[in-house]
Amino acid sequence: MTRSNDYILEARGLHKSFGSGPARVHVLRGLDLHVHRGEFLAIMGPSGCGKSTLLHVMGLMARTDEGSVCIDGADVSQLGESHQAEIRRRQIGFIFQRFNLISVLSGYDNVKLSLAIRGLGSEGVQELLQSMDVAGVAFRKPGQLSIGQQQRLAVARGIAHNPAILLADEPTGSLDSANATELLGLLSRTNQERGQTIVMITHSDEAARAASRVVHMRDGRIFEHA
Amino acid sequence: MLPLPLANILHHKLRSALAMLGVAIAVCMLVTLSGLSRGSLEEIADRWQAVDADMIVYPATWGENITTVSGGGMGDADISRILALTAAEKPPATAASQQGVASAGDAALDANRTVTGETPVEHMGETPMLRTASAPAKPLFERVVPVFIYQVAIGKDRHNVVGVRPEDLPILLGKNGFDAGRVFDPQNSFAQWVTQRLAKQSDEVIDLSDELAKHGGLEMVIDSRLARVIKAKVGSNIHAAGHDFTVTGIVHEGGLARGFIALDSAEVLFNGRLGRYTLLFAKLTPGVEMGQAMQAVRATKRLTAVGTSEYRGMLQQQFGVMYTYVDLVNLITLIVAFLFILVTLYTMVIQRTREIAILKSMGASRGYILRGVVAESLLLTCIGAAAGIGMSFGAGWLIERVKPLLTVTITPHWLVIGAAAAIVGGTVSALYPAWCAMRVDVIEAINLE
Ligand SMILES: Nc1ncnc2c1ncn2[C@@H]1O[C@H](COP(=O)(O)OP(=O)(O)O)[C@@H](O)[C@H]1O
Ligand SMILES: [Mg+2]
Repeated sequence: MTRSNDYILEARGLHKSFGSGPARVHVLRGLDLHVHRGEFLAIMGPSGCGKSTLLHVMGLMARTDEGSVCIDGADVSQLGESHQAEIRRRQIGFIFQRFNLISVLSGYDNVKLSLAIRGLGSEGVQELLQSMDVAGVAFRKPGQLSIGQQQRLAVARGIAHNPAILLADEPTGSLDSANATELLGLLSRTNQERGQTIVMITHSDEAARAASRVVHMRDGRIFEHA
Repeated sequence: MLPLPLANILHHKLRSALAMLGVAIAVCMLVTLSGLSRGSLEEIADRWQAVDADMIVYPATWGENITTVSGGGMGDADISRILALTAAEKPPATAASQQGVASAGDAALDANRTVTGETPVEHMGETPMLRTASAPAKPLFERVVPVFIYQVAIGKDRHNVVGVRPEDLPILLGKNGFDAGRVFDPQNSFAQWVTQRLAKQSDEVIDLSDELAKHGGLEMVIDSRLARVIKAKVGSNIHAAGHDFTVTGIVHEGGLARGFIALDSAEVLFNGRLGRYTLLFAKLTPGVEMGQAMQAVRATKRLTAVGTSEYRGMLQQQFGVMYTYVDLVNLITLIVAFLFILVTLYTMVIQRTREIAILKSMGASRGYILRGVVAESLLLTCIGAAAGIGMSFGAGWLIERVKPLLTVTITPHWLVIGAAAAIVGGTVSALYPAWCAMRVDVIEAINLE
């Protein structure tokens, strides 16, 4: 148990497939992954190998066919829908490749909504937005912001509630290299200054270099080396 | 923070405005049509209830509803019969005496139409049974007002014109007095002339209507509302029933009818014969119980009575079918409006699956998603309903402007129903879209391009 608790997030023997019959795709094939508390982990792998699927399963947005997902040593993969929603509210933050900000709300309100869903007030939001360098434009709606600003707001939204784990699915995938570099710097700082555990999926070597550890995904499993 | 449902409504301004307009129209129709159908009837009922009498007496053969009666179904004998009823004795109820009374009343034109309670003795000769009974006893009714009601076209509309003796007019007006002018034929000169004329030459056939104008029989008092509509003043001419009446006075609206003329004129014009009445308004002797008097009237078998306040119920019963139609039309309009809300919300949910998925990824519960859709629906319907209620006041004002004889009574009752319809309809029409929203698959929606 002591060992278990060193890992904030664990995937054990995950299996996941889509479709049936000849069209069946077996995406996760007995996958194991251990994420240390406070680390910045990058997962690399070819397109279509199942990285997003893994992230969705670990983020309790999709169910695994076999195996288990543990957060803080507790198996949460078999919990009911409302319990899993509760864990998503308390312990998980997401960043998507396509930002997924809510278009009808201002940047600031996007962050506040995320906190409101989690039953939290908006203390500290202003400081957080300042540290992300978007405080000055946060009253604008996403459509009026640059993609870099949008993604930084998405990061703010993903960490405002101090989740145990921040899951990021190719967060630089839609950014040009300057914005990508800035975002990676931001994630590193968040990891170092707040001790935020981050699991990031990426294609890019530059992104991987920002992480404290890199693992590779191939044939539905995780390997420490490429 | 701008709540998400409100933000969504503001973002889709046109669509939201149209959905609200649909609800507004439906609620406006509900409140206005109900206010119009009921208001116009209530206005009539109010006017009947304004009469300073306790009961309406009429022939029992007319059945239970007298809201459409007119013409001369009652005679002088009926007045005698009512005035002869006393508190001490059982009223006469044998078939023999009734027939006797009825034929006596119909046979002759009773020129001596005294109808105050103090002198009922004149008529006692016709009803021998009453004479013995009523000598020491207290009369049940202190006053009986015969009226002759006839529907006459005045201007573009038909109105009840009521024939009444000039001294009885205040009874029919209740608390409403003259705004201008004077009563028709104040000296009752037409009645006197007719009486003399008939006494002299009883066999000769005289067309009395030719003589009406010469003897003050073609004067009319109208109420302020009709005056407004036909733009009449004291001294104006009103063409009605083939004659030109002179307006001698305008009474404040709220009395029994819109037009009043001399009783004898009404009888001559609309009945061709004197001594016939449509109804009697009867006033109880102080201290007499309504129930006791009612029983006594009914015991005559020939006559029956209702309280003046019961006229309202009769009207509502008579026009109950109209209420049903109005309510049905309102219901259909409401259903269409809420189907429109349903479709609007459904479209919004379909277009917004990604947003719903984001909320879910952040851990929003099913309840949160449901509440969001319902809140958005309620915002649309409640703002729409509020606008509809505002519109209904405008519509009511407009209807009374364009059709001044109609009354739109917007009651709190119907406002509450309108608001309740918005809340219930808003919630119910949100349920299916909300259910779809709750079932949104997060991964699928987030991967959606
Ligand atoms: N909901 C789904 N239904 C069917 N197939 C899916 C679904 N999600 C993912 N897949 C398939 O699973 C494989 C892995 O997808 P994904 O996890 O998105 O890969 P990656 O993120 O590594 O590019 C792909 O072949 C994809 O077509
Ligand atoms: Mg992917």
